[in-house]
Amino acid sequence: MAAAVSGLWLPGGEGGVSASSLSMERIRSLTDLPELEAAYSRLCGEEKGVEEELEALLEQQNTIESKMVTLHRLGPNLQLIEGDARQLAGMITFTCNLAENVSSKVRQLDLAKNRLYQAIQRADDILDLKFCMDGVQTALRNEDYEQAAAHIHRYLSLDKSVIELSRQGQEGSIIDANLKLLQEAEQRLKIIVTEKFDVATKQGNLPQVERFFKIFPLLGLHEEGLSKFSEYLCKQVANKAKENLLLVMETDMSDRRAAVIFADTLTLLFEGIARIVETHQPIVETYYGPGKLYTLIKHLQVECDQQVEKVVDKFIKQRDYHRQFQHVQNSMVRSSATEKIEPRELDPILTEVTLMNARSELYLRFIKRRIVSDFEVEDSMASEEVKQAHQKSLDKLLNNCLLSRTMQELIGCYITMEEYFMRETVNKAVAMDMCEKGQLTSSMVDDVFYIVKKCIGRALSSSSIDCLCAMINHSTTELESDFREVLCTKLKLGFPATTFQDIQRGVTSAVNIMHSSLQQGKFDTKGIESTDEAKQSFLVTLNNVEVCSENIMTLKTTLESDCAKLLSQGFGGEQAEAKINSCLADMAAVSNKFRDLLQEGLSELNSTAVKPQVKPWINLFLSVSHNIEEEEFNDYEANDPWVQQFIINLEQQMAEFKAGLSPVIYDSLSSLTTSLIATELEKVVLKSTFSRLGGLQFDKELRSLIAYLTTVTTWTIRDKFARLSQMATILNLERVTEILDYWGPNSGPLTWRLTPAEVRQVLALRIDFRSEDIKRLRL
Amino acid sequence: MSMEDYDFLFKIVLIGNAGVGKTCLVRRFTQGLFPPGQGATIGVDFMIKTVEINGEKVKLQIWDTAGQERFRSITQSYYRSANALILTYDITCEESFRCLPEWLREIEQYASNKVITVLVGNKIDLAEKREVSKQRAEEFSEAQNMYYLETSAKESDNVEKLFLDLACRLISEARQNTLVNNVASPLPGEGKSISYLTCCNFN
Repeated sequence: MAAAVSGLWLPGGEGGVSASSLSMERIRSLTDLPELEAAYSRLCGEEKGVEEELEALLEQQNTIESKMVTLHRLGPNLQLIEGDARQLAGMITFTCNLAENVSSKVRQLDLAKNRLYQAIQRADDILDLKFCMDGVQTALRNEDYEQAAAHIHRYLSLDKSVIELSRQGQEGSIIDANLKLLQEAEQRLKIIVTEKFDVATKQGNLPQVERFFKIFPLLGLHEEGLSKFSEYLCKQVANKAKENLLLVMETDMSDRRAAVIFADTLTLLFEGIARIVETHQPIVETYYGPGKLYTLIKHLQVECDQQVEKVVDKFIKQRDYHRQFQHVQNSMVRSSATEKIEPRELDPILTEVTLMNARSELYLRFIKRRIVSDFEVEDSMASEEVKQAHQKSLDKLLNNCLLSRTMQELIGCYITMEEYFMRETVNKAVAMDMCEKGQLTSSMVDDVFYIVKKCIGRALSSSSIDCLCAMINHSTTELESDFREVLCTKLKLGFPATTFQDIQRGVTSAVNIMHSSLQQGKFDTKGIESTDEAKQSFLVTLNNVEVCSENIMTLKTTLESDCAKLLSQGFGGEQAEAKINSCLADMAAVSNKFRDLLQEGLSELNSTAVKPQVKPWINLFLSVSHNIEEEEFNDYEANDPWVQQFIINLEQQMAEFKAGLSPVIYDSLSSLTTSLIATELEKVVLKSTFSRLGGLQFDKELRSLIAYLTTVTTWTIRDKFARLSQMATILNLERVTEILDYWGPNSGPLTWRLTPAEVRQVLALRIDFRSEDIKRLRL
Repeated sequence: MSMEDYDFLFKIVLIGNAGVGKTCLVRRFTQGLFPPGQGATIGVDFMIKTVEINGEKVKLQIWDTAGQERFRSITQSYYRSANALILTYDITCEESFRCLPEWLREIEQYASNKVITVLVGNKIDLAEKREVSKQRAEEFSEAQNMYYLETSAKESDNVEKLFLDLACRLISEARQNTLVNNVASPLPGEGKSISYLTCCNFN
């Protein structure tokens, strides 16, 4: 409102002083009439404006006055409100004080209640203390150690500060005396329990041992109890182990289990410890609380390690393990310097070692599971750090125990020996290779895969993933380099060609034999192997290569499912599966290498054995004139000049391969041969000349050939003969221009495999076609 | 399996004395971690990391082997299929350097003749305890025709470089091999062709 008022007044105030744009001096100085008139009209205009403003202001007077009246009326009400507000504030202050008073009393009451409770508690404690003191004395007198220990436990669980406070009270001296008695009793009880426990262990009195074992934690002696108890258990383990080892020494070599007696002994040891853990785990859990099993097992593991060491030492000594390993190592480094160890001799020891490791893995897995679940109960509320610390101490126990290290050492030697066993046995199988008549493959393929499977299977039976992977790797190497090399060498000898090539080869080999006999002074009969045998050997090797490739894939699949079984039992770490898969993938890759080798062998066979035979037969086509008249055509009809003989020859030739090769390989070979025939035939056709009837003759011949080849191959061969068929079509034309019925837009479903230039070339083979007509063709 | 999403797959095997930091190098590279108080490796560990080099996905299979003697027969079985070996020693441990010739003999005996070997001196963060001078190591690696690099798994020095440089060299080597192989197809028996080249490279 104030703003509105000042707003109203401002223009007026200012107007009084300088509202006019014309000052008095300026008006006075005006002398001209037009100027004066102009000034006058301006002033008139200004006056009018001022008047309008004034009127507007005066119109507002009424509203302002009425507002003033209302304001005056509000005055008394405001005074009333002020009084009320004061009163309210007073009331609030009062209530507040009142509430403060009440709550402080409640607080005091609460405090009093707490103190009262504490007092009662302390009185109870003091009573308890007294009760405990009396109880302990009586219990001790009655040799009721459980009761006594329970009293001591009660005393130990009392709040120490409470006891301290109680001693300062009026009855301090009495309590002091009581306390002293109690402490004495505690000490006495500890001594008694320890003594009694020792006596019980010495007597081997299990109920007594367990009785006092339960008392230790009541006296706050958890660690001591566990260590003493495990000492007792260890002694039992040791005694049993000693007995078992003695039994081993007495075992007759003819005993059924003699070959795996050390594995059996370890098994007994592990089973014994596992049984102990199984039996005593409930007591430890109940009386010592969760998380204590680790301590017990840690103690037991020390004993286990000692016993394992003894067994393994005996094993190494009796089985001559290290010397055998040395021997193997020497034979591997210097191939023939030392006398080689017979691989078969290693067989039993290798089996035993894997069995020993399998048992150890099983035992360690048992222990791990038990400790993990025990820790899990304890760690359910614990921080991440505590959990990790527990995990670490568990890993340390499992990885660093002598048992693990000893087994790792044994397995380390085992892998080298197993590799040697595999390589030597494979060599033997190769050396003893035999192929029975009528068999497509020779004995070594089955033998080699049997050996490889056996070795990997044995590594698998050790339950050690690293051991298994190492043997898969070694097998891959063995198959990929050594064994593949054997087959390669055999294929490199080549397939001996017959007839003309035979004579050539015979001459060179005779010269070679002469040379070697001159050099060595003796005649080497090995040089003249019968051709048939060499042929047979080449075909068998091809079959072998194919079977190898397949066997590797089968082996991989089998191993995959075997490994899955092992993994599902919880053996191996987190990456076990990835490791195995990677190693198996490497093995599978070798299968392709055998496949490549097969292809190389096949093309070798095709080019050295098939081609030299087939080519002359096809060349005979040239000696059969296709520039013929009706008479000759009819004669050919009666006495086929070429194709029937060719088919017969081919059949004879291929029959040899069909009998000697597996169906799959034979199929590949016939495919190669078919391509070869197509290419060669094309060459001779382009060298011949044809009459109209000659073209018809060729068409008949080609149809017979295709019909025959279709019956003997499983592939569709039409495609391979597409070019030749098209050539036959061209040679069968009535006129040159007839080609246009088949060419370009008229070709219909036919796809021409011949280029326009080739079409012209074929057309030119027809002696009755004029070259101008051919040239004139628009293709 | 054949449609896996990578252009190259290489196997790298780390070897060297126990405690020179092989596991730490691998962890640093594959997980970016430096776990203090790393326990001794049992047998072999296996990690995979796929990196991209010049737009090509390179899958690295890294085999971290145990240095302790008793695992030697396990670790040796991995040499042959390895495309690269990282021979590691500890620059603060003279002994680990002196064992290198022995390791080289192992490589000679078991690895493929095409394998690329890199010599790595680890733990350069402990410079004040250095026992093997850089010069000595360089001379040694030069004489053996090896690439040499000093690293710190703890400070992450040169770790990335080690593996990425190696991957680059493996790629160019693989390319060369394919070219050679394409020109003259191998005769039977010479077929130690490159196993790590998958078909997806050149289609």
